[in-house]
Amino acid sequence: MSAPLLRVRGLSKSFPGLRALDDVELEVASGEVLAVVGQNGSGKSTLVKILAGLHDPDPGAEIEVRGADGTILTGAEAQSELHFIHQDLGLIPMLSTVENLDLGRAHRSFGLAPAARRAETRRARELIARFGASFDVTQPLAMLSAAERAIVAIARALDGWQRDDHVLVLDEPTAALHGDEVGRLFEAVRHVAARGAGVIFISHRLDEVMDIADRVVALRDGRVVADIRAGDFDRAALVHMIVGRELTEARVERTGRRGAPVLRVDGLSGGTVAEFDAEVRAGEIVGITGLLGSGREHVAGLVFGAVRRDRGTVRVGSADLLGGSPRVAVARDVAFVPADRRAQGAVMTMNVRENLTLPRLRPLRRLMGRLDGRAERAESDRWVGEVGLRPAEPERRMDLFSGGNQQKVVLAKWLRNEPSVLLLDEPTQGVDVGAKASIYELVARAADKGAGVVISSSDTKELALLCDRVIVMRDGSVVAELSRDELTEARMVQASLGGSDAETLHPDETEGRHAR
Amino acid sequence: MPDDATRSSRLLRSLSFRNISALYIFAALFVIFALWVPDTFLTSTNFRTLLDNQALTAIVAVGLVLALSAGLFNLAVGAEVGFASILVAYLLSKQDMGIAPAIALTVVAGGLVGIVSGLLVVHARIDSFIATLGMSSVLLAGVAWVSSGQQILDLGASFQKVGTGQIVGITYPVYIMAVLGLIVWYVLERTPAGRRIYATGGNIEAARLAGVRTGRVIILSLAGCGVLAAIAGLLATSRLATGDPTTGPSYLLPAFAAAFLGSTQFRGGRYNVAGTIVAAYVLATGVKGLQLAGAPIWIPDLFNGVALLLAVGLSKYQRTAGRASAIGRMIGRDRAGRRPAAADPAAP
Repeated sequence: MSAPLLRVRGLSKSFPGLRALDDVELEVASGEVLAVVGQNGSGKSTLVKILAGLHDPDPGAEIEVRGADGTILTGAEAQSELHFIHQDLGLIPMLSTVENLDLGRAHRSFGLAPAARRAETRRARELIARFGASFDVTQPLAMLSAAERAIVAIARALDGWQRDDHVLVLDEPTAALHGDEVGRLFEAVRHVAARGAGVIFISHRLDEVMDIADRVVALRDGRVVADIRAGDFDRAALVHMIVGRELTEARVERTGRRGAPVLRVDGLSGGTVAEFDAEVRAGEIVGITGLLGSGREHVAGLVFGAVRRDRGTVRVGSADLLGGSPRVAVARDVAFVPADRRAQGAVMTMNVRENLTLPRLRPLRRLMGRLDGRAERAESDRWVGEVGLRPAEPERRMDLFSGGNQQKVVLAKWLRNEPSVLLLDEPTQGVDVGAKASIYELVARAADKGAGVVISSSDTKELALLCDRVIVMRDGSVVAELSRDELTEARMVQASLGGSDAETLHPDETEGRHAR
Repeated sequence: MPDDATRSSRLLRSLSFRNISALYIFAALFVIFALWVPDTFLTSTNFRTLLDNQALTAIVAVGLVLALSAGLFNLAVGAEVGFASILVAYLLSKQDMGIAPAIALTVVAGGLVGIVSGLLVVHARIDSFIATLGMSSVLLAGVAWVSSGQQILDLGASFQKVGTGQIVGITYPVYIMAVLGLIVWYVLERTPAGRRIYATGGNIEAARLAGVRTGRVIILSLAGCGVLAAIAGLLATSRLATGDPTTGPSYLLPAFAAAFLGSTQFRGGRYNVAGTIVAAYVLATGVKGLQLAGAPIWIPDLFNGVALLLAVGLSKYQRTAGRASAIGRMIGRDRAGRRPAAADPAAP
């Protein structure tokens, strides 16, 4: 075969204090589907952003694309030959397929000439037919299925192609799709590849990767750790490639002892959670993991009352928590650190001191409802020291801190309440390595002081480090519970991906087949 | 702990043009008009009327601070003023009510109007912009109905006293404005309630998850705003001893201009009472000076409109400078909370 469609060499990307990509190499040939797999933080999304031109790589990287006439393109020219479909698809749900396709197109006379409605409709129908699909192209996208929307996104990305051998990058396109919809999308992807395109498929769903990829590149900590053809590996080997060797890092030190149950959840459902039961004891750290959509992302919010509860009971100590009221939960000494700091965790326009004291202002209230400024400042100074805020300025506005330090404040505002139940959702998302360590320490300390801690996270490494046991969810229900001595990243990943029990991973079996 | 260096830099910052630009503008306007029209501008009568005339706008603007701090647009504030001014006249003349009960009832009605707006926002989940826009029209209809579009005349000298009486040469409305401003300032800056209002306005979801009863905060903020608008309305009627059905809406723009411009002052982008009152008087000084200099009748509208646009523009500039901007958050609401994280933790 001739030169590859896309060739990346020596691609590195450093952020302050973090090497997101380290000397990455990859190639995509015409007609090939290349899957890029890896855990959160392995560098997948950085790779996509660099290819899309959103980030500049470190000097020395080569990104080459084969042009129409076989010449090699680099830089901005290369970028225009790459087509992307991001996770959110970038479509407008209120508009129809025809209108969405039209948006990507150049117009004459400032777009004021009347649209040739019938011709456009016919074109749209032909276009989606190329992916083996047929649906009403005049319906608003909101009325279509998720797979049909994904096909519209692909059709739009391909619409302007002059030739068939372009590169198409799909970034987690299946996150919102159900089983048979994934099949339809894959059909479309295969159509594209069969016509000569090179497809890069970013995913962490291993079943899908096994299904569609001709070749797999695994990233771990920013490095390519494997580059192998389909058929040369099985699922277990794939898991091993992604997770890597088991951690030798010491787990976070814990001193406290388990106490009585502080949290009891029965038959909880709502959001993506179909059924969830659990009991958490004082001083215990329980992890919850699973893929996006498995229910993992809603458990903590449901317990706290941030997400609407459909069914089930939550008992804290001896009292029932009624659903839908964070206020009641706060009054019962339940604390919740949400995943989305900016939207839910903190008021970014207020300063650290004001955020710290917001959940419990009553003890600072004096005569005539006055807030005791001096006592408040003393308290915020104390907590700033306690969590090691950098810079240690309680009067500085929240949005002027780094993500890790913002998260320390969010944690501190709840620790100040001395919670009996501490719920954390993705506590270290977008947090740098240094802040991560201090957050782990704070969580461990809270548990040692007698809080029952629940951490919902997609970061299996973090759970392996911190948790006494981990509950694994899939499709809204609990599918496994791993106790401390069987708590490995591989087992967590394996259980959340599902598959038959016969496939249960034994590290020694896969060691020999471990590529590279 | 602040050492001398940071203290002096803090002092410098608090005196910087950006932080107290309104005071500098005020000084500039003062000098300009003092030189331009010294005979009329530099008189104590002029400043007394200025203080008096602008007191009602300042009261309405302070009410708006309460609503805006909680993240709410109250476009009905002008109509609320108009409704109160007609209601009090109606109670006094058509119902032969005493002055005290008529005033009390009008103030309560103003609070109720705010509560209704609040319920629409919280329970019917109508955006405050739309809810108060609708409310505004309903109130104006109420005004026309009660007054039949006619002025209600001859409300009596003793009622007129409420809005025109003087202590040491300064009229009651100025004192009332000062007292109301002090109360709202105290609530916003010195109590847990104020903290919850700002938190609700800053990020309603984060506030709710911190256990703040955001629904209650919204309803009470709008109720407070309604009470202040009603007080301004009844004072307007008292000053002329006449209920005028056209009074209300003219307060809307100057009050918003003052609250927006005020938010750029003193508190680094936060809506605040002191900045708002100062801004109200800066705007009035400009208008007054131009009028004394013989400017045509359409000047106040132009001046207030341009000032409002400048205030918003200024806040955009402040945002690019990495500073707070309450207005920017309001105007560009879709972008709220999605601004890029400030990257440099060492920035001042």
